[in-house]
Amino acid sequence: MAYFSPFDVQARPNRLLTQALSCLLFVICIGLYMQTSINRHKENPEDRVTPNAAQLANGIHASVFEPAEEDDYIPADDASKWERFKHSMIVKDTVSSGRRFLISLALLIPAVVLALHIGLFPWFGAGFLRFVLFFDKIVALSLLPILFIVFGIDEWSKIALIVIGVAPTMILDVTQMVKAVPQEQIVKAFTLDANNFDVAYRVVFRQVLPQVINSLRLNLKPMMLFLFAGEMIAASDGLAYRIAIMRRHMGMDVILPYVLWVAFLLFAIDLSLRVLNRRMHPWFQA
Amino acid sequence: MVSGVSTPVKLENETAAVIPMPARAATSIHVDGVSMCYPLAKKKQRTVLENISLEIEDGEFVVLLGETGCGKSTLLRMILGQERPTSGKIYVSGKAVERVDARSGYVPQKYSLFPDRTVLDNLTMGPETSKYHILGRMLPGFRSFRKQVREEAMRQLEHMGLRPTDAGKYPHQLSGGMQQRVAIAQALMMKNRVLLMDEAFSALDPATRASLQRLLKTVWNESKPTIVFVTHNTAEALYLGTRLIVLARTSHEDHCGSKVALDMKLPGNDDGMSLKKNGQEFLDLVDYVERFSRGSRHDDQALDETGVDGEEEAV
Repeated sequence: MAYFSPFDVQARPNRLLTQALSCLLFVICIGLYMQTSINRHKENPEDRVTPNAAQLANGIHASVFEPAEEDDYIPADDASKWERFKHSMIVKDTVSSGRRFLISLALLIPAVVLALHIGLFPWFGAGFLRFVLFFDKIVALSLLPILFIVFGIDEWSKIALIVIGVAPTMILDVTQMVKAVPQEQIVKAFTLDANNFDVAYRVVFRQVLPQVINSLRLNLKPMMLFLFAGEMIAASDGLAYRIAIMRRHMGMDVILPYVLWVAFLLFAIDLSLRVLNRRMHPWFQA
Repeated sequence: MVSGVSTPVKLENETAAVIPMPARAATSIHVDGVSMCYPLAKKKQRTVLENISLEIEDGEFVVLLGETGCGKSTLLRMILGQERPTSGKIYVSGKAVERVDARSGYVPQKYSLFPDRTVLDNLTMGPETSKYHILGRMLPGFRSFRKQVREEAMRQLEHMGLRPTDAGKYPHQLSGGMQQRVAIAQALMMKNRVLLMDEAFSALDPATRASLQRLLKTVWNESKPTIVFVTHNTAEALYLGTRLIVLARTSHEDHCGSKVALDMKLPGNDDGMSLKKNGQEFLDLVDYVERFSRGSRHDDQALDETGVDGEEEAV
């Protein structure tokens, strides 16, 4: 029986058993939810806290094929499914959240370049590193009121929140990576008659880029977190805004699909970055 | 026999010191009264090198030998420009060394290749960057120049004993010996007269090491560059060099750094000395050299000396 002991470090469970076990928690969660849902629906057939399959299907249908607000463009009744999908609630929310996300992603590029300089050029390090270290300790959300005052409550305050929240960590991380590039590489590049920018961009940056992308993958979650915080506090569209609105009238049939949709989006971004990284840097091993 | 090989170079150094700059074109590396101290805690400092003066002529194959921590790598890094001496000056090809530049080629023990470039790109990187820097790559002449450099790189690659199919591989796909071959090729692509090698073969297994030593010897015989080769392996030093410089501490006090304990010419003809060829003479020489490299400790260690710790099999 020792063979099946869960506390045996040297245990060798077979493939089938491993797969089955990894599914177990998913099955338990779905089962518990269904059980709760059924019980609650027995008491109250209109229960909205744990929507059953039909309610969920309705919610998904509503978010995928129906517009968000009354004053939004409403496709004609005989419009095709694609036409209706294009003007649906979930597309509108995803586009506006995605736009904020992508803009802040683009704004992280200068941060990475700055980090490269901080890590490599002693003068940049002297000028910036301590300030970034200090700035990194400021809780970004505590700056939110200031951001609202400075940028107004529209798009830029949310984008600024994401960038201010993630950039300092990212800069410190990339700085460490740059410093970890072996000195031999830099010296070697100089003996090959490289100038300072050759060394920075064609030797060091190329080498740390896969690590930078990995660091970005880890930072996707914080970015999403800041985006959601911003949207939940002040927005008129966006994924988090919808979730917050739906909470007011217990719209769990929409909230649950939205939560899973956000998780899926994040997973997809992460996966594509990972694949991109592997394709672009076949030499990188880690 | 042994004492006959060693030559007093002290005199040469003094004449060089009188002339502020090495006037003779034949001088390749000129180390002028260099010391190196590292600060320790509590206002103390540790001297690594103490007043080293050397005159290395063009085409010499100098082997810097010494025990771990004697400062031989520090001296090499100073010739390279990576570290600045606390006092004294170093001249390479007639100009003072202030920073790392393309005057000397460099082959370190580890991280000698750019991991993100294929073998071919590693080889072409030198000539490419030296002619076209980061933005110059957009100039119209770059492509034809690159083609030309690539052809040369392929020739160099085959010369180093690599197959043309290796050109597209990344460094991590090559064995350690192959990597060092490519690293030497990469440095040679720059065609500079000085080549600095820091324990370049120390991480290799004996057979690979021997074949690389033969390769390096061939390379040196072909174009006679000035090579400064740092090693802690006496047999390797005797096989490769035409001149052997041993650095050793005279005492263990922090304020006493290493000095040149021995500076001797080696026969260093087409194939250097080895146990197989020179037999007992070689062993005697190893013994003689190692007595110097142990420096101050050779008296109290004479007893537990266990021969020359089998390193000769590498040659």
